[in-house]
Amino acid sequence: MSPGRGEQGPTPAARLHGISKRFGPVVACDDVELSLHGGRIHGILGENGAGKSTLMKILIGLVVPDSGTIEVDGERHQVADPLDAARLGIAMVHQHFSLVEALTVWENVALGDAGRLNAAAVRDRIGDIATHYGLGIEPDAVVGDLPVGMRQRVEIIKCLRRDPHILIFDEPTSVLTPAESEQLFGSLRDVIVGEGRAVALVSHKLDEILHATDEVTIMRQGRVTARMPIEAADAQSLATAMVGRPVSLRSERVAFRLVDASPGLIDGDRPEPSEPSRGLHAPTVDPAGDSSLAAAPTSPALQLLEVTVRPGSGSRSGASGSANGPGRSLLDGLSLEVGPGEVLGLAGVEGNGQRPLVEVLSSLIVPDRGEIRVDGRRIDPTTPGALTRARVGVIPEDRHDSGLVLDMTVAENLFLIDMDRVSDRGLIDTRQLRDRAAELIAEFDIACDGPDAALWSLSGGNQQRVVLARELSHHPVVLVAAQPTRGLDVGAIEYTTERLRAAAEDGVGILLISSELEEILDLAQRVAVLRQGRIIGEMDRVEVDIERLGLMMGGRSA
Amino acid sequence: MKAEAEVGVYYLVSIAAALLLSAALVEATGGSWADVVGALLNGSVLKPGRIGLTIGVAVPMLIVALGTVISTRAGLVNIGQEGQLLVGAAAATYVGVELGGPGPLVVVALILAGVAGGALWAGVAAVLRYWRGVPEVLTTLLMVTIATQLVGYGLKNQRFLLAPADGRANRQQISEQLAEDRRLGRLVLLGNELPVSVFLAVALVALLSLVMARTVFGFRLRMLGSNARTARRVGVSEVRYGGAALVASGAMAGLAGAVMLAGGNFGNYTLVPGFSSGIGWTGLLVALVARQRAVSAVGVALVFAALRTGSGFLAATGVERRITNVVEALLVLALLIPPALVFLRHRRRAMGLSAEQLRDG
Repeated sequence: MSPGRGEQGPTPAARLHGISKRFGPVVACDDVELSLHGGRIHGILGENGAGKSTLMKILIGLVVPDSGTIEVDGERHQVADPLDAARLGIAMVHQHFSLVEALTVWENVALGDAGRLNAAAVRDRIGDIATHYGLGIEPDAVVGDLPVGMRQRVEIIKCLRRDPHILIFDEPTSVLTPAESEQLFGSLRDVIVGEGRAVALVSHKLDEILHATDEVTIMRQGRVTARMPIEAADAQSLATAMVGRPVSLRSERVAFRLVDASPGLIDGDRPEPSEPSRGLHAPTVDPAGDSSLAAAPTSPALQLLEVTVRPGSGSRSGASGSANGPGRSLLDGLSLEVGPGEVLGLAGVEGNGQRPLVEVLSSLIVPDRGEIRVDGRRIDPTTPGALTRARVGVIPEDRHDSGLVLDMTVAENLFLIDMDRVSDRGLIDTRQLRDRAAELIAEFDIACDGPDAALWSLSGGNQQRVVLARELSHHPVVLVAAQPTRGLDVGAIEYTTERLRAAAEDGVGILLISSELEEILDLAQRVAVLRQGRIIGEMDRVEVDIERLGLMMGGRSA
Repeated sequence: MKAEAEVGVYYLVSIAAALLLSAALVEATGGSWADVVGALLNGSVLKPGRIGLTIGVAVPMLIVALGTVISTRAGLVNIGQEGQLLVGAAAATYVGVELGGPGPLVVVALILAGVAGGALWAGVAAVLRYWRGVPEVLTTLLMVTIATQLVGYGLKNQRFLLAPADGRANRQQISEQLAEDRRLGRLVLLGNELPVSVFLAVALVALLSLVMARTVFGFRLRMLGSNARTARRVGVSEVRYGGAALVASGAMAGLAGAVMLAGGNFGNYTLVPGFSSGIGWTGLLVALVARQRAVSAVGVALVFAALRTGSGFLAATGVERRITNVVEALLVLALLIPPALVFLRHRRRAMGLSAEQLRDG
């Protein structure tokens, strides 16, 4: 990483010039400039809707810009569709995988090939790429059986097989464990960049940008607000450029770890996998402390005893996407306890039972065995909505799946749980509904055209606020928050985190389910690790050993 | 508003296109479109008494459509109204003919019997749906055939529906006619005769609109239809609400059958094979075109009823009266295309954007 090579260097591998794209009234990209250079990793940082994804989709040919030009190796090209992009050697590893779970790795890699299928050749090529880039994988494994990190490898191999000139990564670490992301960036730096390929890394994580890139372009509201070599950047300035105002990084969990740990990260060529974690551990102030310890002994807000969910059985949600695949035990005798005012962080790699657990707590599936107690009272999980009635609030991982009704108004969505609060003998008092919704809209600062606006007209961040507003205004005993800040920008993360913290201070027991350790360590007082449908370890926040935690998540005993 | 003007233009263009196509079709087959339009207007509104007839035909269509609105809003696809209606009509006939007692009471009883018959027929589909998971699309549709056969059998058998031999000349399958004091009243208005069931239909429109928009029950029903998983989470029992919706929509179809029988305009107060005469199917279309809104269904039902009554005057023009089926189908398409276009243009984009923002970190 020599700082001398800047924008004025050799011909960029790709140059986007004056790119503009409007979607109706929304300007996704406004006169954007971007140059990617061979052998360098270029970070693209921005909030929700800042236009990063649109820009990358333009480069890969999924979106055609209204104006602007694309140059590849100094020559102007039309990139009208992904095939054009492929011909120009541009490839993208998408955030959401496009893999067929029922097929094997090599079949997925060969998918889309024309002509006769040569299985042996494909397998050999996978082997070559795997050894060359350190992306070891079993070509005959069925993708559905692979953990998320391995699936991402398959995606990367799919891209590398075409020997791309320009490689785009869209939020590559959002699904990975800390160790897996370390490894990913390791191979990026060592091999791909060493071969002179140009890499674009789209991310909303400040530390990732600081740690893995050579230069960064920051976007806000469709415009480039800053561009700098990474040596000139620090977490605070990046966050400010991204949000447009100074942000409290104390609750921005990702930057949090970076502010204190950055010197070690930037100086070192490549830190040991565990190093950033140590950095994270050291400066964290225990947010727990006083509140829970002083409380008189009461019954736990939420108690799960030996809850077991077997695949296919007990599920009332026949057509839902709850099952991860046949033959996998979803929850396997899971027991946990959350006290009032306590935040229990449930760490774990995704796909280890997080989804079925949330579904059980949302009355979406009935466990085969086990007991659920809320505030000491035993809940009959076979009654629809029993958990909601017992005041178990849920912020679901996918709010469109079981959190919101897109066809209804904002007001109706704010009172989905108990319309009874604004109705009299079964008749809805629309005036009261509208007034109280307006209050919540103001309190939670939801940007919309008023209580009667259709929910689908809101942006993703504001839809999430609707969920948050509803679940918190329902006075929950327990709040289950599943990946509550995923995909949110720094400002929204800050807001959500503060809200959760405040709720805990008000005595709400919070079960925080997250695959991002930083988020858990920022909020939780106790950390439990979920693996293969059961809790395999638990520790107090103050005695958390990150290395041990990481190992447990990865399934190695420690 | 700009968006509304846009929708209006869509409607104008697509309806014009449908009429133009119909005209071309008539002209190409040797008819005269002007004559056809004249005959349709004469038959449906212009000639004396035809308005009343059109309204009388619109009433059962509307009632069927209202039932369809209930089930569709709950996310269920009931397409067996034709059969539910027929069973309702048969039950009403049986009670209306066999039950003793004062006329007005029998009228109430036969209407309730129609409601029960339709509810029962849809109830079978509901049980299969929630007990065994059989899709209601299939069961409701297939049960139309069963209803037709069953009623046909009843009409062949004097123990059930067939009229006594001396009352039916040589006809093989016909029920006894409802006695005069066992029919719905008809009122005369400016030379038009209307069955009083028109008030029932209007009251049902108001009631259904209120239930859907303003009651917790309607709210939960809509929630079930829009996002079943969210509904389940907040405690909307799929069996209870979905089952109720399906049964209610069948009950409405059965009610339509009873009203057709006792209200005149159809089959001269007797039940015959084919009595339902497609009103169930048309009612389904009415709900579809009205985009599952009770109030809009009133206007759509009137238009479709006008096409039907108007087609009675087509014979004089030398044009096959089935041309109205084609016109009807084209109109249905014409009325469905604008909302679909609007959805594609606005809604999709909005959803696409929010999905994008979701992904865009």
